[in-house]
Amino acid sequence: MYLLLAQITQEDLRREAMRLQHDYEFLTYGLIAAWVILALYVLLMVGRQRKLKREIAGLRAMLEEKQHS
Amino acid sequence: MRDKIVYALGLAAALVIAWNTYAISQLPDEVQQGAVFKIIFFHVPVAITAMIFAAVALIASVLFLITRKFQFDALAVAVTEVGLAFLAANLVTGSLWGRQIWGIWWTWDARLTSALVCWLLYAGYLMLRRAIEEPTQRATFAAVFSIFAFLDVPIVVFSIKWWRTQHPQPVFWGGGSFPPDWSRHFLYNMLAMVALGVVLAAVRYSQEESQREIDSLRRMAHAF
Repeated sequence: MYLLLAQITQEDLRREAMRLQHDYEFLTYGLIAAWVILALYVLLMVGRQRKLKREIAGLRAMLEEKQHS
Repeated sequence: MRDKIVYALGLAAALVIAWNTYAISQLPDEVQQGAVFKIIFFHVPVAITAMIFAAVALIASVLFLITRKFQFDALAVAVTEVGLAFLAANLVTGSLWGRQIWGIWWTWDARLTSALVCWLLYAGYLMLRRAIEEPTQRATFAAVFSIFAFLDVPIVVFSIKWWRTQHPQPVFWGGGSFPPDWSRHFLYNMLAMVALGVVLAAVRYSQEESQREIDSLRRMAHAF
């Protein structure tokens, strides 16, 4: 065991630290990507909701106007 | 009242996911794959949610063809669209995991390819709906297409069992297991993702109802 530990070089430690850093980087990218996709979808829905409300209000106003005239 | 329940459920799901993300970050790294393995806590729940929604879309499409009630068509389009967003998140997180573990962004193995085909099929479903103006014809064609598209879902799910794939075998369904606290966090994320999907589908469903209202108002306007 100690013999194996003694064989670890500075280069091995540096490589392991790099690997860990990369692991966390990619985990972060994954989470950000997943949430960005879902957030974009929610924004798309909010925009659509506003458009639908505007359209309904416009059509109702037009119908009322037609009924009065 | 329905809106309040939906938004409360959405808020609860978002809070559970936020808290769970912090709790997952505190878990130790997996021995062989390191920290990037924790993508599984998001990658799998979004995939399962997307597959559940594809099954709901199938049922709703069949029910529309039987009953001709537009509520089922609205449900089918709502769950399909939300499922598509979740499947996109699944494909992207999987690709990022693959880049770190396999050294490649993508490979044409059975699981990945069938999942991409599934995404393309359901995207095609939404494009088909945009291409047809007449509501009854649109709903009928879309329902038939949705039933056809669902044929790919069992291939996505069972591809890792039927063929030798580069995609790993599932943890729970492939003879592996999680430590109990990992399983608990996975389950929380799973439930929260499904709840979030239900909330988004409910909002999308109400938008379809608004669209139907617009269609009827337009017909009335033309009748004057």
